[in-house]
Amino acid sequence: MGIISPLGKGIPKTREAIQKSLTGIGPLTLFPTASHPPLPVGEAAGPIEDESLSRTHQLARLAADQAMAKSKETLDAVVMGVTTGGMLTTEALLKKKARDPELFCLHATGSVAEDIARRYRCTGPALTVSTACSSGAAAIKIALEMLRSGSAKRVLAGGADSLCRLTYYGFNSLQLVDPDGARPFDQNRRGMSVAEGAAVLLLVANEPHNAVAEILGAGLSCDAYHPATPHPRGQGALAAMQAAIEDAGISVADIDYINLHGTGTLDNDISEARAIDTLYDRQKPLMSSVKGAFGHSLAAAGAIEAVVCAISISNSLVPATVGCRHPDPDLKLDPVIQLTQRPIGTVLSNSFGFGGNNAAVVFSACGKHKPNRTCAQIQPMAILGSACATGAGNTSQTMKAIAAGKTCTGMLGIEEISANLSAGDVRRLKRFPRLALSLAIAAHENSGEGDDPSAVFLGTGWGALSETSDFLTRLFETNEQFPSPIDFIGSVHNAAAGQIAMRFQATGANITMTGGDYSFEQALMAAGLLSNSIDDTFLVIGADESHPTLSRLFDRSVSGSAILSDGGSALCLKAGPSASGFTIQPVFFESRENNPEVIASLIQRLERPQQINDRYGVILAGLPAACRREGEMQLQTLLAITGFNQPVIDYRKLTGEFASASAVAAVMAVEFLQGGLIPEPLCKDKPVELGAKGALIIGTGDFITAMEVMPQ
Amino acid sequence: MENLIKELQIKIVDVLNLIDVQPDEIKVDNQLVGGDLGIDSIDVLEMVIMIEKDYGVKIDNRELGVKVFATLGTLAEYIHKSSPELPN
Repeated sequence: MGIISPLGKGIPKTREAIQKSLTGIGPLTLFPTASHPPLPVGEAAGPIEDESLSRTHQLARLAADQAMAKSKETLDAVVMGVTTGGMLTTEALLKKKARDPELFCLHATGSVAEDIARRYRCTGPALTVSTACSSGAAAIKIALEMLRSGSAKRVLAGGADSLCRLTYYGFNSLQLVDPDGARPFDQNRRGMSVAEGAAVLLLVANEPHNAVAEILGAGLSCDAYHPATPHPRGQGALAAMQAAIEDAGISVADIDYINLHGTGTLDNDISEARAIDTLYDRQKPLMSSVKGAFGHSLAAAGAIEAVVCAISISNSLVPATVGCRHPDPDLKLDPVIQLTQRPIGTVLSNSFGFGGNNAAVVFSACGKHKPNRTCAQIQPMAILGSACATGAGNTSQTMKAIAAGKTCTGMLGIEEISANLSAGDVRRLKRFPRLALSLAIAAHENSGEGDDPSAVFLGTGWGALSETSDFLTRLFETNEQFPSPIDFIGSVHNAAAGQIAMRFQATGANITMTGGDYSFEQALMAAGLLSNSIDDTFLVIGADESHPTLSRLFDRSVSGSAILSDGGSALCLKAGPSASGFTIQPVFFESRENNPEVIASLIQRLERPQQINDRYGVILAGLPAACRREGEMQLQTLLAITGFNQPVIDYRKLTGEFASASAVAAVMAVEFLQGGLIPEPLCKDKPVELGAKGALIIGTGDFITAMEVMPQ
Repeated sequence: MENLIKELQIKIVDVLNLIDVQPDEIKVDNQLVGGDLGIDSIDVLEMVIMIEKDYGVKIDNRELGVKVFATLGTLAEYIHKSSPELPN
């Protein structure tokens, strides 16, 4: 384990601070505030040495180095929860109107996990979960499922976020910041303290002799209620806790301590207290929130609190609810006010976030409970419905253009994107959430399913750029006095997935993955890992908006493009086989860095069941412009070794450059399979019939990925 | 006061992007939040910022907010009473 937080760097310092019930909250010093005295925040303590690296990346490295200090074996995967990424640097650059894309190269949330993966020469997936304040805990859940599925044996999982103006001013604009510092569950509480930090855990499938604690299980849910306010009776919180307990194979009575989300906002603490009240009809376990000590470090919080839970188990202690002096009698919660020494065997840790996004994780002392392990590999998922949007229009317009060999570059007008949305739907939504919601509705409609999907997986390279840009523009134009609360809520990466959940009352898992050009692949992988526990249909969406200023600054593939393009797609899926005909499955995800044999590993993976020419009738290849030369070499190597002799479609030439273009490629594959052939303009001479063959969608560049769409 | 109400009607429709609401549909004595207009707690916060920016009036706690945003009338009255930028 590794940690850096407002209470210090490293496990010993963190333990000592917990034992002394210290707080790390104090007035902001990280950047000047123009119009008011600095509010209390949790700034990470200790020197940050490398100024060329964004602060979130530095925090993540400082935590990861500790976790990896004694480990020599290679990692199979890195899963990080990140929401602010390089935002602190980006804000400063945008404020001075910097326009060199090179300066923004670490803006992406996904670049944190990638940096950590490179640092430890991990060649497996580097995944980024961006579900606001539950990101760190959701990342642990995804890592846990990777271990259970057997697709990884050693995963580094955690969360990292630095303070930035967006979150500092954003939460304040929502009147969610306590001017006296967070006082969770106190009768006088007035809000949270925004904080920063990072924590990382090395998770290993087979319990080693030196394990600190065990993760027994984890549960995810979505309120599907409101973009920023928790469900008043804590329904989503309760569902996540129940799912975690069930996943862990224990009962509520087994829990010795609950590490509460406990932000100190009026609404969170009421909602969480009610959920706990419903969960326990009799004696409640010991409970506390550490956010009066650590502050609320957003995406890092779930991971930091995972470390706190491990410290609680290994040191037989329950941390105090620092800041809480007079527990609110209305909450009927009785939080632990002073550090309590007591043997702790099993802990439940809560993390809830914007978009009604909830995660709960169960930790225990090693060997205390029998692990509730399942060993299901990622299975093909049945495709029940699909929809896409590109510069050419909706699914049929896009496919018509593609069948004629025409490009679909460009951007639809906002009215066209919103065609299947009502005035009420779109009032507060800008381009990205409209696009994602519209695609989700269209895919569900296309499925013909009467029942609504219960879970949502969304991949986006860049998220809500319009909201982010508008928030920062107004912040700077008004001398940091009048930021927009609506834009802040909308700027969060998982806001769109939250809207989709609200639309469908999808109260199951709600995961947003932000892995640059491989975001859709990451969302599909998350869906595959979690689909075993989803009985109903679920949505997997990949979408990106193009923004006139930010897209060229952030996305290196867009920087050099003459035309701005955007769009995406949505698939309505169900676990296991179905009569509908086609399935999709993520089959490969490795980095090219430190991995000279990556194409050979891909081929080995693909040809395991049968030869590539017999299995696939078409390859859809994604070659992001920023690494086109590298991508072409990778693709040529693949084709040369396998002797693949059927159509290869360089799909970004058709869709234009945007991070989630591979989502559109997935819908192209479905349409080709449905039609039974590859249209003539996309083949060398005459149309190629697919017969019983499937389609392979390859991602190239910094990562090599593969998804297959197959007939059943 | 009447001018202030008219001005607020237009500003509210604009700031909250109430696409399907005409300014004069926001009635002086009707419930402003949680009623037919579809205005909710997030909109209230956006209005709080607008009122501070345009009229120099701060509404920084929930109890006060509930009273002030009861109706368009109570809002206009509070702004009229508190604004350094309006003739009292």
